[in-house]
Amino acid sequence: MSSPFSINGGACVAMVGKDCVAIACDLRLGLQSLTVSNNFPKIFPYGDVYLGLTGLATDVTTVADLFRYKVNMYRLREERQISPQTMANLVSTSLYEKRFGPYFVSPVIAGINHTTGKPFICGFDSIGCIDFAKDFIVSGTASDQLFGTCEGLWEPDMEPEDLFETISQALLNAVDRDALSGWGAYVYVIEKDKVTKRLLKGRQD
Amino acid sequence: MLNANSPLASGPSYSFATPPNQTSTNIKQHSFNPYTDNGGSTLGITGDDFAILAGDTRSTSGYNINTRYAPKVFKIGEDDGTGESAHIVLSVVGFAADGNALKERLNAIVKMYRYQHGKPMSVKACAQRLSTILYGKRFFPYYVHAILGGLDEEGKGALYSYDPVGSYEREQCRAAGAAASLIMPFLDNQVNFKNQYIPGSGEGHALEARKATPLPRAEVEQLVRDAFTSAVERHIEVGDGLQMLVVTKNGIEEIYDPLKKD
Repeated sequence: MSSPFSINGGACVAMVGKDCVAIACDLRLGLQSLTVSNNFPKIFPYGDVYLGLTGLATDVTTVADLFRYKVNMYRLREERQISPQTMANLVSTSLYEKRFGPYFVSPVIAGINHTTGKPFICGFDSIGCIDFAKDFIVSGTASDQLFGTCEGLWEPDMEPEDLFETISQALLNAVDRDALSGWGAYVYVIEKDKVTKRLLKGRQD
Repeated sequence: MLNANSPLASGPSYSFATPPNQTSTNIKQHSFNPYTDNGGSTLGITGDDFAILAGDTRSTSGYNINTRYAPKVFKIGEDDGTGESAHIVLSVVGFAADGNALKERLNAIVKMYRYQHGKPMSVKACAQRLSTILYGKRFFPYYVHAILGGLDEEGKGALYSYDPVGSYEREQCRAAGAAASLIMPFLDNQVNFKNQYIPGSGEGHALEARKATPLPRAEVEQLVRDAFTSAVERHIEVGDGLQMLVVTKNGIEEIYDPLKKD
């Protein structure tokens, strides 16, 4: 339990649907078993791309701010929004720069590529190895539980409404079996020209 | 609390014997660890008039597979092999040698009970007895997570789950073993309908939660299969075969389905 990845707790999950993607996170921030805050979102928007960060809370904030700076610089230089694929490579190389003193985070990316119109999700380890999954990505202290619920509930080509229900149930039931995650959740459903952000209450214990 | 240096706490152990440890002061440290984790997972669900206990049939030691068919679910108290005289099932996951020893002991006790009293042992009594057996080895435990299944005095499905030292509880469903953390939240959702609400039943706290009702047998069997095929995808210690024992008033039925062998 002294692992930097499990001091603060938290969970994040991303899923692919039919012409849509969803990304969700819990809201807990804790110090081991003591809950410090129940309003600590772990998903950060960068234009069309959404980045979920779990792990050590100080690194979550630092990395989120670092990518805000990097993505802003990209937009100014290129005069266009960053695509999810480019963001994935930016995250990967940035994390690998810290190969021998890493940020203790497990990032997740979700977005729709506006040139191809195709949904995109991926996940990383703390030193930038990319996991290009076609179905779902999980991260955080409830990752075992999330693997179980996602593997059981997910199916291909879901419409946005079904995708929302699936990712919400997967996250809510997973965090209820993890003492370090929970206390409500944020769910983003991303479609081609619409993003819906919902706040889920969940169990408050 | 486990010793942080013991193989149990620091990941998979590969054998009972560990090679002597050479320290800087030239003193050899010998050690013997009496436990091995044989992986695998088990799962039990009850219905109105039946109980299902299931387990995968893979036995592992570290990254090795000992065998692809080592049952983890057993009939308790049968003496002819037909399953007609038995009405209790036991699943054990963790250290297989302890699991088998525990099964043998409980089996002998349940049989002796019938011979001496002229009637079969109730599941409730058997459950309490199993707890006593486990606690009897409080300071050198059977390293297993046991689940006991059967039908109660009213003919309803009964399921009891245990920790290694005999703490127990009657439940509707329980997953144990290596993939318990993957399977259990799925079961919460699909068996007890956790986090499910009746649409349009109210706002905020008035919103009505979907009540858990006993599921029909076919549905439960399919849930068990889904839970295990999911676990097989994401856990390397689970796979090869799925064994299910279904207890009904007509006796115990055994079902075997293959799982992925990779």
